[in-house]
Amino acid sequence: MAVPDAPDAMLVVEGVTKRYQGVTALLDVDLSVRPSEIHALLGGNGAGKSTLINVLAGVTAPDEGTITLDGERLEIRKPSDALAHGITTVHQELSLVPALTTLDNIFLGREMRSGPPGLKVKLDRKTMTKRVESLAAEFGLSRIDLQLPVGEFGALKKRVVEIVKALAFEPRLLILDEPTSGLEDDERHRLFEYMRALRDRDVSLIWVTHHLDELFGLADTATVFRDGQTVGSVPVSDTSTDDLVQRMFGIAASELSGTREDAAPERVTEPGAEVLRLSDVSQGTVLREVSLSVHRGEILGIAGLAGAGRTELARAIMGVDKISSGSVHLHGKRVQVRHSSGMYRRGLAMVPEDRKHLGILGDLSIAENISISNLRRVSRFGFVVNKGSEAARAEEYRKSMSIRTPDVHAKIRNLSGGNQQKVIVARCLNTDPSVLIFDEPTQGIDVSAKVEVHNLIRDFVAAGGAAIVIASEVAELIELSHRVLVMKKGRLVGEITGIPEALADNRYDEVEHRIVSLAAGRSVA
Amino acid sequence: MSTDQSKARVSVLERAGYRLLLDPTLGVQAMLVTICVVAAFSFPVFLTEVNLYNVVGSSIIVMLLALGMTVVLIARGIDLSVGAVMALCAAVTAEALLNGYPLTLAAPMALATGAAVGIANGLLITKLGLPDFIATLAMLGFASGILYIWTGGVPIIGYMVPEFYYVGGLTPLVGSVTVPMLIALVLALVLGGLLGWSRLGTHLFAVGSSEHSARQSGVAVHRVRILAYVISGLMAAVAGIVIAGRNTNVPADLGTGYEIQAIAAAVIGGASLGGGRGRILGAVLGALTLAVSINLINLLGVPSSYQKIVIGAILLLAVVANRLSEIVNAWARRRRLARAPVDHEADAPDLGPPTVPAESLKPTRKALR
Repeated sequence: MAVPDAPDAMLVVEGVTKRYQGVTALLDVDLSVRPSEIHALLGGNGAGKSTLINVLAGVTAPDEGTITLDGERLEIRKPSDALAHGITTVHQELSLVPALTTLDNIFLGREMRSGPPGLKVKLDRKTMTKRVESLAAEFGLSRIDLQLPVGEFGALKKRVVEIVKALAFEPRLLILDEPTSGLEDDERHRLFEYMRALRDRDVSLIWVTHHLDELFGLADTATVFRDGQTVGSVPVSDTSTDDLVQRMFGIAASELSGTREDAAPERVTEPGAEVLRLSDVSQGTVLREVSLSVHRGEILGIAGLAGAGRTELARAIMGVDKISSGSVHLHGKRVQVRHSSGMYRRGLAMVPEDRKHLGILGDLSIAENISISNLRRVSRFGFVVNKGSEAARAEEYRKSMSIRTPDVHAKIRNLSGGNQQKVIVARCLNTDPSVLIFDEPTQGIDVSAKVEVHNLIRDFVAAGGAAIVIASEVAELIELSHRVLVMKKGRLVGEITGIPEALADNRYDEVEHRIVSLAAGRSVA
Repeated sequence: MSTDQSKARVSVLERAGYRLLLDPTLGVQAMLVTICVVAAFSFPVFLTEVNLYNVVGSSIIVMLLALGMTVVLIARGIDLSVGAVMALCAAVTAEALLNGYPLTLAAPMALATGAAVGIANGLLITKLGLPDFIATLAMLGFASGILYIWTGGVPIIGYMVPEFYYVGGLTPLVGSVTVPMLIALVLALVLGGLLGWSRLGTHLFAVGSSEHSARQSGVAVHRVRILAYVISGLMAAVAGIVIAGRNTNVPADLGTGYEIQAIAAAVIGGASLGGGRGRILGAVLGALTLAVSINLINLLGVPSSYQKIVIGAILLLAVVANRLSEIVNAWARRRRLARAPVDHEADAPDLGPPTVPAESLKPTRKALR
């Protein structure tokens, strides 16, 4: 299936190639976007969507290829070039300046000024406020929010600001990279409405998403990428989720979604000895008298709404944050949790939530990223790092975890999100942990990488480890866990045991219902 | 629950909190007032008009440099060359006057010199990608080296023309008010306006706070950083013109140590070496705090060689105070966010039937960070 020749195309990308130090991110990619359409870009992690978007937004320069907008050949060398041509991008990683107010952020680089003719130097914040006020209000940003520095906001609100910033300037072509991640349902639907309204106003949209179910009824065309190449474009009305998944991964959808049925029965095992126990652990107001225990061979899921204290619990166990009262027992012995390094030594490890900021060391190689938590293992005399054995060990992990990279010496930042996550898991495994904590292990990674990460967790537990998994997606928790604890406002409010057995009895909905009710604060009838 | 009212109160408090955070001048004010009160009670002479004007007058040079330094610090840079550039510009002014040029030509020459050094600093940092610290350190050596060769180590003297006594502040304008005080006041107002109400000001904060985001938003990052150094260079030139008039001679080592005082004044005033923070009023108060402290130790009869220790101690104190305010603020923010879900629930007690769809859990990622 070739890219259809579209003589009426507004944006035409031809033969774009981009290589990063040995990794080919894009190879001879074509894309054509018609006027006023919503054009979805699909593909697994590392398929090249983000790179293409960066090329269009002027963040990265392509090695080869041409970009044509309305028949005019564009030279996009820097972000301001793209903006000047009406190409606005909402990046997955936010492009907001923490020190500036919401208003200044929205108008950053496009400020409106007042003053006598020829001397228009004063920022006209009044006019700027007027211009953006109603749009902002529709996304729940008040006038006062406009005057607050963005650094004060949580991740969700920042995303909203980012979207308002993009919509405020009537773009010709709006690029949205995973715009809905972190949005509430309401805001998500409002964004979709806006996308439709923009299309009606002759704006074209390029939309990157991992949620295939969002496409239907919204996107007009979908272009699928795989391994840095264009697989093809299809009208969304002529296709199905299964069809798209098959194009994205080159395999049938059933192979990907089959994990739940396959995995559930064999996981019905007796839990082993207790590894970790918490008694009445409190930390300020965010954790209150939490008691729990984890056993060998067990995956313990932690559910809860945002702000329920799940991440705080993980951080408290790892010694990242100090606990104010209560005790932690490892293998039956009480331990004083002081530093995370001490907990690592004692056999705990954590895959943190925010991979980009807390997990990877972007400029180090894959091999270095794996060995960093346990350098002794690859060192001579305990302190001279042996690069050879470091690489050899990384090579083992690359094979066993199918980390997709040509070379373990490549910088980790050049890997896709899913593969970065595997490297982080490898780093944790390399410390030979007895308890491994996963905080949102599959956030922002694609379906196939997700399955792989899930299998890594299962393998770890099958080999006698104990895992604690924190996830916002209830379905993911149910799929993985033997037992789920539900948190609410820093407390444990419920426990659901025997999940594999329940799944084997086809009682998935009941389990889900109980978890969701507990998390939302309803008593189970 | 009186939701609206409590919300409004929180936001006003939030704003006040933010002002305190980005506006740590309050801390400096407290420090300045404390030192003044101590000085006033210990030494009646402190509060005399002569002494007060003397203190203000002595703070002007550092103040001018600190104003430029604040701009650079906001853009996440640092300018170590200001002292040397000031001395070089003082020499340019003095030599021009010696060669018979009028002050109206000598001063622009000095300003051009300062601007040129600023451009050079900016280009080295942006185009060659040198660290700010290294580029301006090299410029410090370069500028003071030129001055030594030029003067042969002998101070320039005999350049004073009558109107230059005004510029140096040796002859007051009206009462005890001197020209340098007015220059500093006007420039502080101009730079304050620039930072608060101009595009360049916003861009300076943007570049300092998150260069990546600024670039993605279409800010010409290189130009902004170069302009920051040009402003610093110009301020150093103004300081050079004033100090040439004040000193009545220009020794080659005139600028030694001024870069530290300028950085100290800016940091006392709330500028952060991490970029994105800084206030003009803070720089002014910071310079005054340094001057008052030095005045106090002079009154105490402490040998002037101890001044450096005092400056160092005040700098440390200010940085510790800033750090404390950051910690307190981060704590307050966490508290506020931790409260948020509770409030949210109180606002919307009706969450619908107990069967909330699983999707509604999915997108609610941490508001908590």
